[in-house]
Amino acid sequence: MDLFLQTLLNGLLIGGVIATFTIGFQLTFGVLHVIDFAVGGWVVLGGYLAYYMAAELGLDGFLAIPVAFVLFGVIGYLIGPVLYNVRNSRTARPELMALALTFGLFTLLRGGMLTAWGFNTHSVPTALSGESLSIGPVIVPLIRVAAAAFAVAIAGGLFVFLYRTRYGLAIRATAESRQNAALMGVNIHRLSANVYGLYAGITAMAGVLMGAIYSVNPEVGLRYTLFAFFVAVLAGLGSVGGALVAALLLGVIEAFVSTYVGSSYSLLAIFATLFLVLLVSPRGILQRGL
Amino acid sequence: MKSRLASLVLLIAAIVVLALLPALVNNYWLRIATGALMWAGLACSWNMLGGYAGYINFGQSAFFGLGAYTSALLMGDPLGLPFFATIPAGIVVTAIFAIIIGAPTLRLRGAYFAIATWAFAEVLTQFVNVVGFTGGIGGLNLPPFLDERFFYFTMFAAAVLTYLVTWALFERSRFGLKVKALRDHEPAAEAMGINTALVKLQTFVLSAVTASVFGSIFAYWVTFINPKSVFGGDITDQMVVMVLLGGLGSLWGPAIGGVGLFVINRLLWMNWGDTAFYIAILGAAIVLVVLFLPNGIAGLFAKRPAESATVLDKAVDKLVGNGEGGHS
Repeated sequence: MDLFLQTLLNGLLIGGVIATFTIGFQLTFGVLHVIDFAVGGWVVLGGYLAYYMAAELGLDGFLAIPVAFVLFGVIGYLIGPVLYNVRNSRTARPELMALALTFGLFTLLRGGMLTAWGFNTHSVPTALSGESLSIGPVIVPLIRVAAAAFAVAIAGGLFVFLYRTRYGLAIRATAESRQNAALMGVNIHRLSANVYGLYAGITAMAGVLMGAIYSVNPEVGLRYTLFAFFVAVLAGLGSVGGALVAALLLGVIEAFVSTYVGSSYSLLAIFATLFLVLLVSPRGILQRGL
Repeated sequence: MKSRLASLVLLIAAIVVLALLPALVNNYWLRIATGALMWAGLACSWNMLGGYAGYINFGQSAFFGLGAYTSALLMGDPLGLPFFATIPAGIVVTAIFAIIIGAPTLRLRGAYFAIATWAFAEVLTQFVNVVGFTGGIGGLNLPPFLDERFFYFTMFAAAVLTYLVTWALFERSRFGLKVKALRDHEPAAEAMGINTALVKLQTFVLSAVTASVFGSIFAYWVTFINPKSVFGGDITDQMVVMVLLGGLGSLWGPAIGGVGLFVINRLLWMNWGDTAFYIAILGAAIVLVVLFLPNGIAGLFAKRPAESATVLDKAVDKLVGNGEGGHS
């Protein structure tokens, strides 16, 4: 029973962190109509930033969070318009071309990181690493609690921004109908750049947290891309609220399979679930559809 | 007519040179040529679905791996079947998998299909990793057969057959027109009376089976396979890049992209060893091609601009009133 509770809690905490970047992923799809393969790349880059700040400058891993947001926010802001142009270009199949572009970006990031930093795995040291918190019989690493708390704050902030501000309204309107939003005076081009920047920044912050909880190497990016896809499929592409639920579910599934079956089966379980959901209900279990 | 004659002469010349190649070069370069032919064929197999039908398959390595593993298991210890008997077996196994996977997933629109195929390939890889009879991560050994010429000619025959089938089916038949029609506008194709579900499935199975044949030959050729070497995502990555580079939906594009990229890969390997740099180059190549050369290298030589779906799309969107005016 203790193990059960502990597994559940661990899963929920990780799910919280996953939720931060999958919400951004969904937002990007809603606004840009692009499935971003590169999502895992941004997560890993955030982790590496934190690792190098700690290793080279001796700074605490948590200090990398704001740096990651600003740095990758700017990079995302610059990439966003490129994606937008490809997605809305006059080539024969802009949808596939945009997919290919993010796929290429992901491959480029992965190859670049492997070339520059090799296959070694690094962990990100923080003030909380190694500490743990016991609630009754359940022992939880403090870093996971902090990361989840931080993730909840980011996700909460994002929801307030989306649902309580005028700019958030513009983003939601664009996600619903680009044409109508444009007719109402939303500058879709600039909004796309902003959304991709926001998303890349948030994703890199989540990467810092993931690097502190697990560890970071260039090959794990694929895993995070899979997470984002899983959540997107379960929630329905573009659904922001559903992403939160699906991310928590993903964290719990992963924790339980790792604990009770074996960690080599966790990816198999996630992929199998993803595949089944796609077959049974291609528009997502928590349907909102496209 | 004149240019047609010229290209026919060029084609025959290329085939003659390729047929005489074993007499001209040493074994080292013959191995590279064998690999180049394999990649040209694999790229073509991906292009059948990706280029002609417009469905991006991120799990094509699954079918390559299925062919390789079927051959390896059947040629292995208890059965010890002859190599050429295992190719049809691989085709049957792959076709069964492709139908089971394709029938439901091909209903999904573009992006979902891409994710579904990717997930399928990963499930299969993880499965092969953990179950016993496939040898797990350790992989399988095949009976060694070290005749470079045999593999060169087998690969050559497979590649020629692949391109011949592609040319006949996709460039010169009603079937090809159906496939292109559904790529350009699926609802319109359906309204014309094309059974799009069936046509898509046929294309998917053909594409899968082709990859499986190359997988079988590859396994026998390298005599040792493991999940990473035949199911790895890098295999699909390369096919995608080769087709994009060569020209999506063109007959010769995949051959140009496949041979070109494979030779670059080998040159890099000769100079710097097995390098992660190649992955970065693949990525950069995709990005650059998408941004600056959306019709690939073959598009540069096309006499008229490659057929663009947008005109048709726009006209039909007007008729059926597709709200966003997009492709969703």
